[in-house]
Amino acid sequence: MSDNKQWFSLNLNSIKKKSSGSCSCGKTSGGCGSHSKDQISDEEFDTAVDATIGSERKKDGFDQVFDVQMDRRTAFRKLTASLLIGAGAVSTSCSVTTGEDSKEKAQIDWEEQFKGNYKLMTDAEKKGTVDRLVRSYQLRTGKTIHMTSENAEEDVLFGYAFNISKCQGYMDCVNACIEENNQDRNSQMQYIRIHEMKDGEGFKFDEADDNYYHEVPAEGHFYMGTQCFHCDNPPCVEVCPVQATWREKDGLVVIDYDWCVGCRYCMAACPYDGRRFNWSTPEVPEKEINKNQHYLGNRMRKKGVMEKCTFCVQRSRKGQNPACVDACPTGARIFGNLLDPNSTIRWVLENKKVFRLKEDLGTEPKFWYFMD
Amino acid sequence: MNYRITYISGYLLLFMLLFVSCKHNGEEYHSLTDKIKHKSQNYHKTQISSEKYLEDKELIKITEGEHTFLIPERKGKIKSYACIECHSKPLDQMQNSAEYKKAHWDIKLVHATKDMMDCMTCHNGNNMNKLTSLTGKEIDFNRSYKLCSQCHTSQFDDWKGGAHGKKIVGWAPPRASMTCVNCHNPHNPSFKKRWPARFNTQVVKERKDELE
Repeated sequence: MSDNKQWFSLNLNSIKKKSSGSCSCGKTSGGCGSHSKDQISDEEFDTAVDATIGSERKKDGFDQVFDVQMDRRTAFRKLTASLLIGAGAVSTSCSVTTGEDSKEKAQIDWEEQFKGNYKLMTDAEKKGTVDRLVRSYQLRTGKTIHMTSENAEEDVLFGYAFNISKCQGYMDCVNACIEENNQDRNSQMQYIRIHEMKDGEGFKFDEADDNYYHEVPAEGHFYMGTQCFHCDNPPCVEVCPVQATWREKDGLVVIDYDWCVGCRYCMAACPYDGRRFNWSTPEVPEKEINKNQHYLGNRMRKKGVMEKCTFCVQRSRKGQNPACVDACPTGARIFGNLLDPNSTIRWVLENKKVFRLKEDLGTEPKFWYFMD
Repeated sequence: MNYRITYISGYLLLFMLLFVSCKHNGEEYHSLTDKIKHKSQNYHKTQISSEKYLEDKELIKITEGEHTFLIPERKGKIKSYACIECHSKPLDQMQNSAEYKKAHWDIKLVHATKDMMDCMTCHNGNNMNKLTSLTGKEIDFNRSYKLCSQCHTSQFDDWKGGAHGKKIVGWAPPRASMTCVNCHNPHNPSFKKRWPARFNTQVVKERKDELE
């Protein structure tokens, strides 16, 4: 590719030929000075390279995805696919023959398709999208869910502490989390992992077992839970190319599932394996769905988006504990407001010997570990 | 002339730096602990409260040291309270009487050793409605943590501060914490071995596929 463009254009077969007879000055014959007899054309150069390197010349990641040779028909089909969705929505909503319900459904789909980033929405817009999602669910399933969009409260910064001498490895937290947050049952997605570590060998996450099945606590082992640490300096937020994930005022790192493009950069950037990807459409049996939802929390996700622990935003912003904290029978999990000098989490940070994982990375997790 | 300009501009620069460098640069903090410390200086109550979750719960307010918080009421939860409905006489008289019956046969004491503890270490033989301290003082069933704290002092300190034990409903004030006997059976207080609540078969499959 000889042209030095900063932007990307679809490579339809016909356009490429253009360059052979012209140059950057725009004239098609003689005079601009950039042509000389012994300069080879792009095509000649390409064939020469192919002849020497041949199949070894591989395209890099970006080109593999975007520089795909496709015939005109496929290209147009792909381009118009999303337009058709919109057009379909318009035609249904304008048609006299379709029912009221499908018209409303189409109207909702249309508005949801073109809504903005949640981070930039006003409170009225947030309420709008929440109402649409609730109505859409009602139209599709006949069931009513309760969804909210509470914002971060002033003077609140959420923090978490985990007592590694109390955890017995029962994994009740994992089950509670899955039920609370409507995680995909097919892929058995779980935000929390409990690592079974050998006593006296330090934290060796590569040797620890996070999927044990025997009586616990096992002799000579201790247990340590990891999940999203809601870093105050989150690397996952830095790398998101579309700003679909961000840190809220109360410290929660959240995702707008409708804005996420599924590139999984955040998954690669997270040093704690805190993020999960929906490789397939998440499925939860209707009667198991937790209908108390938050836009940024446990509402139903779709295929191809990221999700993770939100410290149960649907609960914590109402004053409740995350589901894992309430489910833990040993009291190993402590949650609270870091800005309240009288909170129990503050007492733990000030009076126990606390540490965080990979502190030297500067990610500033708001998740501390401590011992009795 | 040239010197003068250099001096003046030098002083000006220093003067400006004095103001610029000392200013807190908005959200920028050296560390998270600095941020927490600074932001909590002017902390005044949040709007969020857990009062509505506590409404239907019977709680009592306790003050221990500098900590004041709520714990669940206990006496109403004990199935056969009040104890004096059966234990109408002091215990030594009942044991020696003709109608002696073995009571509480289902309770087996698995707490410390037999040399160290028996029923009477905690229960008050003269007034079965009360517990007893090591020095023979009466302790109310609602404040049974006072009994436990005689031996388990470090756990008591952690519990008061909030590092040991669970909250009843939420993180938001007012603080309502569970008391010792809400998680530990006083006659058999340790946590037991059991199977984990979950086993992820998908993870097993994925890891096996990765190896192949």
